[in-house]
Amino acid sequence: MSDVIPLTSVGSAQEPFKESACKTHPQTMCPAFGALRVLTRLEGAQPTMITDTGCLYGLTFVTHFYAARKSIVAPTLGTAELSSGQIQEAANAAIAEAASERNVSVIPVISLCVAETAGLSEELLPREVDGKPVVLVRVPAYAIHSHPEAKDVAIAALMRRFMETETTAEPNTLVLLGEVFPADPVMIDGLLRKMGARVLVTIPGRHLDEIRIASRGAAVAALHPFYRDSLACMREHGVAVVGGAPIGADGSAAWIRAVGAALELDDATVEQVAAEEEQTARDFLARQSLKGATVLVSGYEGNEMLYARLLIEGGAHVPYVSTSIGQTLHTAADEAWLKARGTEAVVYRKSLEDDKKAMAHWNFDLVIGTTSTTAAAKELGIPSVYYTNILSVRPLFLTGGMIASISMVQELLERRPIYEKMQSFFEG
Amino acid sequence: MHVIRDISDTSSYWGASWVFGCFPDVHMICDAPIGCYNLLGVAVTNYTDALAHMHNLTPTSIREEDVINGTAPALQRTLNELRELGMLENKKLIVLSTAESEMISADHTRYLATLEPDARFFWSQSLEQDEWVGRERALLFCWEQYGKPAASTAAPAPYSVNIIGPSLGCFNSTADLYEIKRLAEGIGATVNLVYPYESSLADTPRLSEAMVNIVMYREFGTQLAQVLGKPYLFAPFGVFGTTSFLHELAQLLGIPQEQVDTFVAKEKRGTLRVVWDMWRGPQSDWFATVDYAVVAARSYVVGLQAYLTGELGVKLAFASGRPLAEGEPDNIQIRRQLHKRAPAFVFGSINEKIYLSEANAKATFYIPATFPGPVVRRTTGTPFMGFAGAAYLMQELVNRFYESVFNYLPVETLDGAGMTERDAAGNAYVQTMPWTKEAGERLSRAMEDVPYLARISASRTLRLAAEQAARTSGAAEVTVEQVEAALAAGQ
Repeated sequence: MSDVIPLTSVGSAQEPFKESACKTHPQTMCPAFGALRVLTRLEGAQPTMITDTGCLYGLTFVTHFYAARKSIVAPTLGTAELSSGQIQEAANAAIAEAASERNVSVIPVISLCVAETAGLSEELLPREVDGKPVVLVRVPAYAIHSHPEAKDVAIAALMRRFMETETTAEPNTLVLLGEVFPADPVMIDGLLRKMGARVLVTIPGRHLDEIRIASRGAAVAALHPFYRDSLACMREHGVAVVGGAPIGADGSAAWIRAVGAALELDDATVEQVAAEEEQTARDFLARQSLKGATVLVSGYEGNEMLYARLLIEGGAHVPYVSTSIGQTLHTAADEAWLKARGTEAVVYRKSLEDDKKAMAHWNFDLVIGTTSTTAAAKELGIPSVYYTNILSVRPLFLTGGMIASISMVQELLERRPIYEKMQSFFEG
Repeated sequence: MHVIRDISDTSSYWGASWVFGCFPDVHMICDAPIGCYNLLGVAVTNYTDALAHMHNLTPTSIREEDVINGTAPALQRTLNELRELGMLENKKLIVLSTAESEMISADHTRYLATLEPDARFFWSQSLEQDEWVGRERALLFCWEQYGKPAASTAAPAPYSVNIIGPSLGCFNSTADLYEIKRLAEGIGATVNLVYPYESSLADTPRLSEAMVNIVMYREFGTQLAQVLGKPYLFAPFGVFGTTSFLHELAQLLGIPQEQVDTFVAKEKRGTLRVVWDMWRGPQSDWFATVDYAVVAARSYVVGLQAYLTGELGVKLAFASGRPLAEGEPDNIQIRRQLHKRAPAFVFGSINEKIYLSEANAKATFYIPATFPGPVVRRTTGTPFMGFAGAAYLMQELVNRFYESVFNYLPVETLDGAGMTERDAAGNAYVQTMPWTKEAGERLSRAMEDVPYLARISASRTLRLAAEQAARTSGAAEVTVEQVEAALAAGQ
């Protein structure tokens, strides 16, 4: 690899990187989409959106493209309805239409910016219609800030409503929290079974029953760092919380030990499994297949630091990582790990201006970013891909996920000539 | 209280931004939370206009404190940042309100004048007006603010036309525009401005320099044409519709009709030849046997009906235009109708595609004909309008007939699924089973709901399923209950 892609170190000769003073173009999908994605995918859910037509159009568009082929109900909400206090009546009319559908078992009511500004009251909404529960989820974009965080809001709303309250924990079971590639929970479950434990359910999923029985888990692992409210719900139900994720060699071993401790598994077995997993990972990493490559990681999914960790373990230099989520206690461990291994900047609530500034500061061999960022990179002839579409559709965790992700990145790095040729044709 | 399903038309903020966003010499600030910026400026635009993002749109990013205290500080901050980033150099600034900023009555007309005298504030009226009104108002706004005051009073150049309407978020406009230009130039007209799509804001005064305006869409653009005070025509569909259009256009421009005749004669030998060939071939016979529904913007609804029904004789199941006219089915009714009985072809948006999926209407072909829905329509090769559109539509319908034939021919799959069942001794059930009269009638009735092309195959599948059910229950003949059971099982 290093003979194809020279090590770039322009950053070291410069002033330290500072994030942009102008956050002019914030990067996140509309925050509410995170909630819609989780809620529309639930079997038997008939989502009802309380909002204006422009918002409805945009969110329905992305929901139909990226979440579920599911019809969405909404009341007509214009100046007349909003100014004459008819918002409750409007919401109830839409809920009634939702309840009239066949095969509906739950009605999520998604309240958006204008409805929240007008003041939609939960007390005045029906708690259920014909036995079908109505669940209010408030996700005004002006207050939530990023779409991963809205997933948390939606899951927490479902947990508060549907989690079993009188349960006894099933020993040795782990709840996974995070939208992950379908093969990932299977791999994690396989590993847990070697230690006498198992995955109980993965949330968000496709069924309310997964939420219902989550409180039976002996512990919960939040694989992504933005499930603050959901974790609080789990804690209230007495479920132990495991931090971090089984990412790469370092991360997987530490995570396995943490799960072992939380589930009170046999120490010797846990240690053996952790050591085996770490050894397999290190055997692959010994190739350092990404050595010499400088990679920018920028997304709005909230799990960007996990990918950055993998790339660094694979030998890449990742000086800059940016994400749409805010900095919390849950992001601290990954940030510290990255900063100890050459990452100079981790930018939260990032904007396009931050990413562009980073591209001016370092010479990247690969840009994994949002659509606006990758477009800017392609205009410079740099190989680049849209984080959400390309990385989220691959396994990520444990050795299997690590190999899949690193191998794909390695292939992307080899594509530089075609990016350069295209750029020089159109802009050269 | 009115309830919406899967909204078809977006708000005036979107419509206006799709007009202003065409101009390379404009920068827009939308007074909006990040979601309203991202959905319009990035997420949806990626998948409708196939743009990486709208480079000339910036949000004020309304936050909680702005909802309480007003958005003026956010507007000022955004403006300062854009200046600092150099993004306003040689640009006219337009600030647009959105549903959320209108909720809190953030009218910046006067405040903006103090910040940037040259900038303009556009009150979108996004809470009550749809995208079509928004586009129309934005076009008029451009003329009133940037065109009329500097409009040239010189006589228009001979044979000159404007094409008004093509803008962002217009389905298939690349191909349709290419065809309309080709037609106009084909009879000897010259295109003055394609407005706004291929113009700059600074070109706006030149709108007065054309003899005739071609309004691409019936759903917006007419009011600008009327204000300009020149004769205008709507872009045409179909073989005969397009021919009449060209004669009318020639008359308005003072081009001799013989010139049109010469062009049309050449088209008959070229672009249109395939229509005549397929009309004489076996393909056109199918048109008598199928039906279609169209849910699209007004121009497409009018144009597709004129061509498919008026000229080719294809039966219309139902039509619904945008903006919705009195008496047309809304999405709740369209959904019910498609669930009940889906026609052979449905021209529509992703909404209709979803309703067809819900009904498992596999015998129906969905053809994208409007937004919403992710579809790239940026090449010149997919027109619906004009002669090229007539040829393309006919070709595409026929290709779907071929696809139908392929789908319903017998196939022996590798896994052997769908092969004739056998008894315990290994003999295939090949002997004819008796059916009761009622069962036979039920089978025929059920076939009425299946598009014509799929009927042979569907009736065979249903027959086999009912007979299998009868055998399983040990019955000597097939009864109506077994037909119902097979129907309920989705056969």
